[in-house]
Amino acid sequence: MADISVFIEVDDGVLNDISLQCLGAARALADGGVVRCLAAGAGASGIAADLFARGADEVKVFDDSRAAAYTTKPYAKAVIAWLNEAPPAVALFGATTIGNDLAPSVAARLKTPCVLSADGVEAADGGYVARRVEFDRKVQTAYAPEKEGLFIVSLHDGAAETPAADASRTGEAVPLSVELDDSDFAARVLKRDVAKKTVNLKDAKIIVAAGAGVGNAEGLAVVQQLADALGAEVGATRAVVDAGWLAADHQIGQTGATVRPDLYIACGISGAVQHRVGMLDARKIIAINTDANAPIFKVAHYQVVGDLKVVIPKLIKVLAA
Amino acid sequence: MSVDTMVIVREVWDTRDLVGQVLDDTGNIKADAVGTRFEPEDLNALEMALRLKDAQGGKVTAISAGEPRGVDVLREALYRGVDAVVRVNADPLALDDQALAEAYAGAIRELGSQGLILIGTTVLDGENSLLGAHLAAALDAEQVSWVDELEEATPERAVARRAIEMGTETVEVPLPAVLSVGVALLEDDPRSPRSAKAMLKLKMKKVDIPAHEAPAIEAVTKTAGRAAVPERVIETRAVDAESEAELKSMLDEARKGD
Ligand SMILES: Cc1cc2nc3c(=O)[nH]c(=O)nc-3n(C[C@H](O)[C@H](O)[C@H](O)COP(=O)(O)OP(=O)(O)OC[C@H]3O[C@@H](n4cnc5c(N)ncnc54)[C@H](O)[C@@H]3O)c2cc1C
Repeated sequence: MADISVFIEVDDGVLNDISLQCLGAARALADGGVVRCLAAGAGASGIAADLFARGADEVKVFDDSRAAAYTTKPYAKAVIAWLNEAPPAVALFGATTIGNDLAPSVAARLKTPCVLSADGVEAADGGYVARRVEFDRKVQTAYAPEKEGLFIVSLHDGAAETPAADASRTGEAVPLSVELDDSDFAARVLKRDVAKKTVNLKDAKIIVAAGAGVGNAEGLAVVQQLADALGAEVGATRAVVDAGWLAADHQIGQTGATVRPDLYIACGISGAVQHRVGMLDARKIIAINTDANAPIFKVAHYQVVGDLKVVIPKLIKVLAA
Repeated sequence: MSVDTMVIVREVWDTRDLVGQVLDDTGNIKADAVGTRFEPEDLNALEMALRLKDAQGGKVTAISAGEPRGVDVLREALYRGVDAVVRVNADPLALDDQALAEAYAGAIRELGSQGLILIGTTVLDGENSLLGAHLAAALDAEQVSWVDELEEATPERAVARRAIEMGTETVEVPLPAVLSVGVALLEDDPRSPRSAKAMLKLKMKKVDIPAHEAPAIEAVTKTAGRAAVPERVIETRAVDAESEAELKSMLDEARKGD
């Protein structure tokens, strides 16, 4: 039994799903102990009921209008104040661009151990270990604190299940008390440019994903046609997003979505590990690539060596037949 | 107006497309199974510093921790055009990121930097966490992570564009500040590549690399063990791209389920 604390990211009143997964992991790890959440960000108080329903025992809210956009210092200060109120055994963060910026900043200031983007954390030998798959997914490394005390871990997307809501669980959220002065807000977010979410890759049964091999907008259109024929969503590699061919919400992989569709069709995708981690749990994978040695073929159930501009129209044709 | 920049450069495991066993019998990384390379995001950070220098002057210093013979990245940094290099006398493989950050911070304080400190955000691979965040905390400096572009730098402040989920953010920070640089910058690498002969010459060239002695700092996180991840065994089938019949049966089967 142990107390576990979870940092919950809220963006404009919307709860980050990875934060919820962390809450699920915390509930399991606490093993009867107290699970505390800090809901942080604009509109954070509005999601407190959901946190109680999904397993939180205590909820503190950090919703300072000066900190509506994330910058490191005020958030680190707030998290440290919160952790000091009731020191937990483990503090969990989602491995997002906020969580992975914040967690080590807090750890360094508290001089406490920290592991980022872990696949899981568990009790072991009277302490805790966090595990992460590394080295091209060939090695799993276990990290542990040198000494007893707070252990800070960020969990990546998919590391735990999102806990179900239980309406009978309720509670009252309390604002976090933390003293922040102007010097804490020396860093300022001047501009934010975020794509609206237009695709729901997480719930898609079939995903047709485009890689740099599509070559241009025309190649992409062929991929889109196949997706339409299959009733599928269109996914993309980072190369395609960086090229501006598709918006960032289509990206799959380490810095994009983690998906588990029934069928994943990789078109012109080399299969870099940062992409594979986001899709290798698809139930069936078809890969279409001109290069027979492309790493994507190592994880594909069906290997189609060929030019996607030739192969995909054939697929569309047989689907229509 | 010129800004002085310090860039942390590291030699790290090259974990791309590894083949065969990576661990030895004792569970350590087999040195001959995994090569090393210049941390690609540190290379981006270095390029960012050099572009700033090209545009508006200022001094660029590259800093790396390691044994006297283990800091080829500093030679590379000199080749690429930095003004000075400093070796921090500490073993990066024996320390966690927090202890290593303290060692780097000591050197940076000694050099008296009040400007920009650039470092790669780094791919998490045998690196326990993000060094830049630990470094910023050790220096009590502002930090911005996943920086793709430096839009402005004056002696007082920097404006950086960072990548976030589904978009970008533009952040202004007062200096000194640690910017952790992401992957986007280095599409074309104008200062590389070069011939094997030139590389060898670079390696052999006598350069005097000043050292900073880091005090002993205790690590707080340890590697508690490594285990080989079993190869994913999946049934794969080659499908003839020319054959519509094969393509059809593939689609039927793949959509049907098990
Ligand atoms: C920290 C970090 C995070 C990252 N996060 C992500 C992430 O979240 N998601 C992601 O996807 N990437 C990510 N990346 C980038 C990743 O490393 C790869 O660069 C990227 O996935 C490559 O995309 P690609 O396969 O589309 O392009 P490429 O690697 O260029 O591959 C293109 C492929 O298309 C094939 N091809 C070319 N023409 C044709 C044709 N006519 N028909 C069929 N095939 C063809 C080629 O043989 C090649 O295999 C990240 C990288 C880093 C360092």
